[in-house]
Amino acid sequence: MIPSWILDSFAAVMLLVAAASAARLVAARSWPRGTQRAALADVDVAHLLMAIAMAGQLVAGLRTLPDGAWEVVFGLLTAWFAYRVIRDARVSGVRALAGGHCAPHLVHAAAMLYMFLAVSAPAAHGAGGMSGMGGGLSGMGTLGLPFLAFGFALTLIGYSIWDLDQVSGPGTSGHYSLAAARVTPPGPVLAGVGAAAVSASATSLAPAAAETPAAAEAVAAPLVSAPADGTGVLAPWVATGCRIAMGVTMAFMLLIMI
Amino acid sequence: MLAGSAAGNPGVVARPITWDAALVGHHLAALNALFATIQLLLGIGIAWRPTVRVALAASIAWSLGVWWFGEGLGMVLTGDVSPVSGAPGAVILYALLAVLLWPADRPASVAPFTAARAVGAPVARALWLVLWLSLAWFALLPANRAPQALHAMVAGMTDGEPGWLAGLDRGAASLVAHQGLAASIVLAIALVIVAVGVCLPTPAARGTLVLAAVVAAVFWVFGQALGEIMTGGATDPNSGPLLALLALVYWPVRAAVTAPDHAASAPEGTTAS
Repeated sequence: MIPSWILDSFAAVMLLVAAASAARLVAARSWPRGTQRAALADVDVAHLLMAIAMAGQLVAGLRTLPDGAWEVVFGLLTAWFAYRVIRDARVSGVRALAGGHCAPHLVHAAAMLYMFLAVSAPAAHGAGGMSGMGGGLSGMGTLGLPFLAFGFALTLIGYSIWDLDQVSGPGTSGHYSLAAARVTPPGPVLAGVGAAAVSASATSLAPAAAETPAAAEAVAAPLVSAPADGTGVLAPWVATGCRIAMGVTMAFMLLIMI
Repeated sequence: MLAGSAAGNPGVVARPITWDAALVGHHLAALNALFATIQLLLGIGIAWRPTVRVALAASIAWSLGVWWFGEGLGMVLTGDVSPVSGAPGAVILYALLAVLLWPADRPASVAPFTAARAVGAPVARALWLVLWLSLAWFALLPANRAPQALHAMVAGMTDGEPGWLAGLDRGAASLVAHQGLAASIVLAIALVIVAVGVCLPTPAARGTLVLAAVVAAVFWVFGQALGEIMTGGATDPNSGPLLALLALVYWPVRAAVTAPDHAASAPEGTTAS
């Protein structure tokens, strides 16, 4: 049995992540359309939703939406980031599947979807409703496909370590640094999310462009100049920090659910 | 669990373990949370470049502490350990990896493999030899040569595991039933080959490192049931992944350039390829 104060602590961190993500979305509204605003939106919206959902899973009193609604939300987010990864892969090849901008978010969204599906399954069979993960640990039935939880946890930890290493590297501000990013105009918008496409990433497109003429052409044509580097809450490290916090929290949740 | 690791150990080793187990038993949740927090901070500290040296040093101290107080020095002094089940203790391998992967100022170009960057190739090879030869020694201990020793060990890993993993372990257990001596000898030979592999020319070294990774995978799946993580009661992934990681850091570096003073002493094929 996990002591409740540990779950409360993780929930508090998730609320901080949600607040930071919301602040980033508000702050980014002052930027012109079609620039970094578009690049930030879908990631910050995803962070906001995941943080709120995880806080509700950790502490029953923080629940907002029913599990079924979250399953739909994360199903949509998973589909969205899967679309983005496929689009990235067409430009920069298989590297987009592992190290691209959207692949980590795809894993995060898919892990959230899995968590809700796995936790909801016993309730659907009459094992009793979930009252947050704290109640779930004592009242939940067996977790479906525990190997999947293990795999997700390992992947999330791997991405968190990668983020930490990159964000603390010499002369970098994280591999998502948008300072040097060249961002495409907004792509299709996910209904209800308002997220425009981040183009294949600040980091995955530019190197690809340098390596292959085709990729360079794909990148160069629609590029717009990025405005000044994000500062304050819009600093790249804030988004990376949020993602690290979410990755660690999500991995923790998955491991204690096994 | 902690108190159990005192059994069979000499008194000087066992008494602190017993004291530690009693302490943890009285404050289980708080101390477990503290231990988890320390390990989480160590992980973050290692991944965060400005703190990597401090965190690695702390992880070495932590590993040695856990190896004694949590694993009874891997039970290596009891004579009842097996490399298949994780001897000499996964946690000591963390310390070894921290030493081998210590950020080094020496150029990567003079190191024949990553593990040699911090301590130099001779020391790294010596550490590899000590580790794998000790595993071979453990494999030949009387407790592991008994006809049903390996069978009982593997069959005992199935409790609480998912059906597919339990099925794999049951199948493996049936293969080695009454074959304890033969299995021990075959395993010891394989471990000796792995041990001397890093002293061989590059192509052969690569082959033995692949063998090391295969052996690690076999240990992890059949002898350790993936560290029993699927049972919900594991405290670590056990030694299989760490042995595979060790094999990786000894993989000959393709771009290595032989330093003048290195060329004279290093075996052929291990300094450049």
